[in-house]
Amino acid sequence: MARHSPVTGRYVTIEVDGNEYKVFYLHNGNGQPLICQHTAGAHNHQWRGLLEDEEFTRDYNIIAYDLPRHGKSDPPHNREWWKEEYRLTAEHYVNFIVKLCDALELKDPIFMGSSFGGNVALQLALRRPDRFKAVIPVEAADYAPGFFLDWWRHPHANAAQVCASGVWDLMAPQSPDMDRWLTWHYYSQGSEAFKGDLYFYSVDHDLREELQNIDARRCPVVMMTGIYDYLTPPEATENTARQIRGGVYIEMEDIGHFPMSENHEVFRVYLREALRIIRERTG
Amino acid sequence: MAVDVKTWASKFKNLTDNDETIQCMGKYYTCSFLYDMTDCKVIVEMHDGKVKNINTDPAPLDPYDFALRASAQTWREFAKPMPKPMFHGIWAASFCEDLKLEGNLLVLMQNLRNFTVQFELLRKCGVPV
Repeated sequence: MARHSPVTGRYVTIEVDGNEYKVFYLHNGNGQPLICQHTAGAHNHQWRGLLEDEEFTRDYNIIAYDLPRHGKSDPPHNREWWKEEYRLTAEHYVNFIVKLCDALELKDPIFMGSSFGGNVALQLALRRPDRFKAVIPVEAADYAPGFFLDWWRHPHANAAQVCASGVWDLMAPQSPDMDRWLTWHYYSQGSEAFKGDLYFYSVDHDLREELQNIDARRCPVVMMTGIYDYLTPPEATENTARQIRGGVYIEMEDIGHFPMSENHEVFRVYLREALRIIRERTG
Repeated sequence: MAVDVKTWASKFKNLTDNDETIQCMGKYYTCSFLYDMTDCKVIVEMHDGKVKNINTDPAPLDPYDFALRASAQTWREFAKPMPKPMFHGIWAASFCEDLKLEGNLLVLMQNLRNFTVQFELLRKCGVPV
């Protein structure tokens, strides 16, 4: 008897800002759509624990996609992308997510992302509160400078190992070795996209003057950050949530910047609470 | 009470040379670095994943590729079996605490996987400050 996972993968082709993307996504569950974004330079296997967690798949239609240039989602097939430097912008990132949700016909999805996925969750709450039931920015802040570094793809170093070990201590020492090394493994696969992702994360994403324009009473914003995250320390997230009308901040003990990937068993406890708050506020 | 630096060096070498995670990819892990713990300095010389020498009394002009400098208290935090947040790695401590990374950082990046694993061995052998 084959030991098949209930998780299935599919491709969908969408057009975003003139780019044709064939997007790969994993899916499991039924009910309220919950669409999940991986971290910069990684791919959707970071959500492997959640995708197979029956407590959540019972009530949530969980979708975890690979952003173009990550995992099994290629760069655009209709452009000579190898002739230009990849730099992700907030506008294109938001447009992509909305187009993907449209293509998958997701009605009032909850968007959840970590790190640069958390920062784009804030962008979605600002720009498209009409399209999302709620957002869960994980390890996010209004501004996160300092990580757009040349080291991520320096030709004199092993970029795969620099990226993978460069994010190693974004994780908590309490997280299981297997999960930390799997996260390391994912990072060893995404070095070419990592720096371009971080252009969004550390440069183009800057909501310091915009937080007052996010209304979490219209589109709930539940932010969560682990205490071992040095890049978006808990105080940065808390400070961001405090400036959003109706924003919620949850601090996560004994976990770092990749909570769903480095320790799903700890993360799921906090996610349960975030979803409870969203249900309470949205009915 | 801090451990004697020569005793510490022997423990650190033994842990490094017998660490499976380092040794399985130890080939070419060849470089030298200074641990500047304020009250104590050592230069560690690596060759193909093994500790070739630990200079426990470096002179002012003794060479190395790159250096990690921080207060003795920060090094003591690094060496705790379960370090507090922001003392759990060189990136965290350089972003949020008083750790300074100096010298030829390209060499650090070229050896980052094994250097990171080796640095966490301090949680087992402590520090001599």
